[in-house]
Amino acid sequence: MAGGGEALGGGGKQKRGKAGKRKSKKRVGFRLDMTPLVDITFLLLTFFMLTTSMITPQTMEMNVPPDLEAPVEVRESELLTVRVRKDGKVFYNMGKDAPEPVTLKELHKVIVDQNVNLKNRCIVSLKADHEVAYGVFIEVLDEIHQCEPDIINGLKANGINERQRKFTVAPMDVKDSEEIAGL
Amino acid sequence: MSKIKKKRVGFVLDMTPLVDITFLLLTFFMFTAKFKSESENEEKYQIKRPRASVDTTKLPEQDLVIIKVGIDTANQDTAYHVSMLNEQDRIKLSQVMIQKDFPGIQPNQTAFITKDTVWLESLVQEARLINPRAQFAVDADRRIRFAWIEQAMNAMRKKRATTFNFVTDKKQ
Repeated sequence: MAGGGEALGGGGKQKRGKAGKRKSKKRVGFRLDMTPLVDITFLLLTFFMLTTSMITPQTMEMNVPPDLEAPVEVRESELLTVRVRKDGKVFYNMGKDAPEPVTLKELHKVIVDQNVNLKNRCIVSLKADHEVAYGVFIEVLDEIHQCEPDIINGLKANGINERQRKFTVAPMDVKDSEEIAGL
Repeated sequence: MSKIKKKRVGFVLDMTPLVDITFLLLTFFMFTAKFKSESENEEKYQIKRPRASVDTTKLPEQDLVIIKVGIDTANQDTAYHVSMLNEQDRIKLSQVMIQKDFPGIQPNQTAFITKDTVWLESLVQEARLINPRAQFAVDADRRIRFAWIEQAMNAMRKKRATTFNFVTDKKQ
């Protein structure tokens, strides 16, 4: 790093001889050695570049219903239950239908179709087993979130411009896990 | 005829643009750098956040109550770590919890560690009383059991903190 290295001392030396007689020295613009400054700057730059992490966490907003005494009654035919089993497998069923295993991509299609068909009345209920890893739960939740734009488009195609979102996370009871245990 | 020898001068390179850019980058990195807070420094666990698709909502930098659920690197233990982001709120919460005899409390504690849902509920309630504008965030490791999250959700639901955030990382 030779910031202004060769300039160092450039202005200091004078020619002996004639110059000695003259009273007025030749003015040389004042020079400052930049080398240490640049050295430190590079050092700091590398430090900050290596310590900064560019990945910032993002958030996923959740709304849960307040703890009310009176449960909200829903029609079973409009209830789409999504269940996540211990091993992370996902099952869905409409109302009282038998649960069917689905992949996340298929689930996306099912949720969009049901929401569009039922015209905003569909209620998606997500139930996850206690043993399920939190990461898997978030993946399913994320997939349900990702359905929204498609649902809105589907509803618009049917002439409905409003989207009322009905989604809930419900606890998984023994009956729920029994139903999907052997599938 | 003797040749006049040219004096060799080492080649000169203008460093000005290089130094300009370096300073620019330096200032950029200096301003964007965020350092770990004191409470994060005390943590003995590392959180591997769950991955979700790209979302532009960022975590607020103040008025936030964070419930962290991490797996301890030493003994694989899990617990709720509740902390408030605002310094003043944190001090107030600490004072309130001293009065309530929070187990193992020390003055000026930054995070409250508990496994008990009753204490978790009490922390959520006090945090809401201290700062009604505070938002709640659940920052949990993706490997923990869902039961931990469900309990935290129930605690918040009971104390009427019905809107909260899950902290996630971008999906690659």
